[in-house]
Amino acid sequence: MNTVAASVAQAPSIEATCFHCSEPLAPHAPRVAIDGVERGFCCDGCAAAAQWIRDARLSDYYKLRSGHAGRVEPAGEALACWDREDILAAHARNVPGGREMVLLTDGMRCAACAWLIDRALMREPGVIEVSANAVTGRIRIAWDPARTPLSRPLRRLMSLGYRPWLATGAERERARITERNRALLRLGIAGLGAVQAMMFTEALYLDTNATMSIPMRDFLRWIAFLISSPVVFYSGWPFIAGCLRELRERRLGADTLVATSTLLAYGASLFETLTGGPHVWYDAAVMFVFLLLTARMLEQRARSAASARVDALARARPAFAVREREDGSREAIPLEALEAGDVACVAAGDAVPADGTLLADEAWFEESLLTGESRPVHKKAGDPVFAGTACREVPARMRVGAIGAATRLSQLAALVERAQAHRPTIARTADRVAMGFVAALLVVAAIVYFTWRAHAPDRALDVTLALLVISCPCALSLAIPAALTAANGSLARMGVLPVGADALERLARVTDVVFDKTGTLGDATPSLVDVATFDDMEREHALRIAAALERDSRHPLAAMFAPFAHEGLRATEVRSVAGQGVRGVVDGREWCLGHARFAAGATDDGALWLGDGAHARARFEVREAPRIDAAQALASLRAQGLSLHLCSGDGEAAVARFASTLDLPDAHARQTPEDKLARVRSLQAEGRVVAMVGDGLNDAPVLAGADVSIAVGDGAALAQRAADLVLATPALHRIPDAIALARRTRRIVRQNLAWAVGWNLLALPIAAMGLVTPWIAALGMALSSLTVTLNALRLARVREGVAA
Amino acid sequence: MSVLLLLVPLALVLLIAAIWAFAWAVKRGQFEDLDTPALSILVDDDEPPPPPARSDQDDA
Repeated sequence: MNTVAASVAQAPSIEATCFHCSEPLAPHAPRVAIDGVERGFCCDGCAAAAQWIRDARLSDYYKLRSGHAGRVEPAGEALACWDREDILAAHARNVPGGREMVLLTDGMRCAACAWLIDRALMREPGVIEVSANAVTGRIRIAWDPARTPLSRPLRRLMSLGYRPWLATGAERERARITERNRALLRLGIAGLGAVQAMMFTEALYLDTNATMSIPMRDFLRWIAFLISSPVVFYSGWPFIAGCLRELRERRLGADTLVATSTLLAYGASLFETLTGGPHVWYDAAVMFVFLLLTARMLEQRARSAASARVDALARARPAFAVREREDGSREAIPLEALEAGDVACVAAGDAVPADGTLLADEAWFEESLLTGESRPVHKKAGDPVFAGTACREVPARMRVGAIGAATRLSQLAALVERAQAHRPTIARTADRVAMGFVAALLVVAAIVYFTWRAHAPDRALDVTLALLVISCPCALSLAIPAALTAANGSLARMGVLPVGADALERLARVTDVVFDKTGTLGDATPSLVDVATFDDMEREHALRIAAALERDSRHPLAAMFAPFAHEGLRATEVRSVAGQGVRGVVDGREWCLGHARFAAGATDDGALWLGDGAHARARFEVREAPRIDAAQALASLRAQGLSLHLCSGDGEAAVARFASTLDLPDAHARQTPEDKLARVRSLQAEGRVVAMVGDGLNDAPVLAGADVSIAVGDGAALAQRAADLVLATPALHRIPDAIALARRTRRIVRQNLAWAVGWNLLALPIAAMGLVTPWIAALGMALSSLTVTLNALRLARVREGVAA
Repeated sequence: MSVLLLLVPLALVLLIAAIWAFAWAVKRGQFEDLDTPALSILVDDDEPPPPPARSDQDDA
């Protein structure tokens, strides 16, 4: 175990980030040898996790993973709650040999994590079965309560950096699986049936000299009918149902187009089979259903993988709360059992379970989820605290006021739902084209029928059916799904998860991009940009004093001073003064570090001052730096002709600095979620199409209200759920890349539509003249479908420079 | 050609068998997660687990 021992701070280190979770390394980082190489870790938790993985001979995890793990938080006592009978009774079910339960975890990011969880938990005694699903973030665990309490394998899970949550929304999850299974079954039946039906109809096509006996021909036709019926009516049911719905709503849409052409090809074939006519088109009907189902399935796969995870997390809540009894003792209870008027205890680092008022004298809460303020907010006894905010520095006691749906958090979530419902609906291209097309086709078919009836009544029906089949708009209907599928795949490879249904289409039309500063453009870690000293103070000495004062603080500012810590300089009698700074004695002198008024008796200018309370000795200019790629990403966006805006919940000074550094003329500070939403609405009223980039929960309503919204990956789950696109890695230059791809997609969709319509314009007169043979029909349909598909596949190629 | 009268029903039987097999696989959740199992077969599982005493110590 001595490998965790901290080595010398200034040892030459190759990597600057934690090997396990890629957080920045502190100078006194623990180091562990993994596979013979000494690696640095951000904290003992990560080091212990890596060490356990190494000792369990699961180091393959580090080779297999495609993303970094989550930071390992120390396992609290809360895990004991998982052994409570009331929790188990509500959420676990009995299986042979023990019980089974489904958990959610937020750290699972790739298949390697699922693999690691499987292996690690299976080695815990008493665990019967584990299956972790990297797509949904769910872990199904079966254990034998006689041999182990559930908390024990969960402690292992937590020590690897995967925090367990109570899986909510089991009902919805089951419905989703049923729905997905049905879609798969439809696709499978369509595929198998299409191949068979094609086989029999091809035999009929190949009989070019009409040498086949009539009974044999009819036999093959009836077999083809038998096979294609389930394909058309079971596999194709989503299209038929969609068509019925559209007809009820009195509009002609894409589903109407698909369903009518399928049913026409099928019905015409049945008619020909019954009457012994010259052609059947069963193959057209089944191929059509199969191809479209495939396109839909592929299009949805990338999206559902992204949204399933985002969605599950958004519903993950802390499962337990700690309640103080009358006699002062504490008990952990399920969150649902918490009632208004209870006294709840929140440990430092934990999330507040409900809205309420603070009972402790003072405490700090990180409210960035609600307000966008990135620094912990100081609260005094009697101040309101909100569910979902994180308690920092010291544990707090609170009196519960509002729970569940009445909390500010839930109200914001409701605001998201409403804004989503009000999102300007954009008539989809396919629907518009389809509507005109179906109408025109029906008119032409009627004209052709009556013209032929006048001239050659015996061929009228035959020719009309041929016309309807050949104009069966395979290409037209494939054009858009194929392009979207390819583009969504490319997006996912770029690290942009498409969550919203028609995000790409809206992204292509974007004219304005609105940024939220906190955490979106900034990297959320303060850094020291300038040190000014007064009197005869030395720069180095000032930094050492500051480091000594901040040594035991967990504030982000403390990490900033940590590199300057000096062994010989210790601070004693350190007291932190609420909302002001810290006071302490260093080298026999009393020092204050904090706001100008507190440390030096001067006017507050946003900088950090060091002094004795009356006289300033040093001034530290602290800034949150922009993300490394922010300037470059904004330049690319400007080059794409977009106007950029900044709408932040942060204070004036910080916003103004960001605006000038990054050259953003239109910047607004101290914006509430409602202000931001109003700002977006006013831009929309000017006819602009707005893309919103944000990361906090406070951005969720405005994300949902914008025309298209992009959430940055390490942001809040609720923000991601409201977003159309989620950046899996916080790389801002993915945004211009995604917009470029969206525009390219729009171009290719237009080309495809032009081609498909052109093909039909060419084919229609030939069919109307009665010249269509099955050979021409088959070749034409195949060619046009192939062309649009190949054209769409151009989008699957990620260009150099875009890929990385 | 009369052999077709035997072959075609045979093809239909095979088709039904294939659909049944597919439905079975879907219901068993074989398509739930396509990545993780693909990954786990790449890794040798023969290595012995760590000595139990040690991991117990960690937990204590």
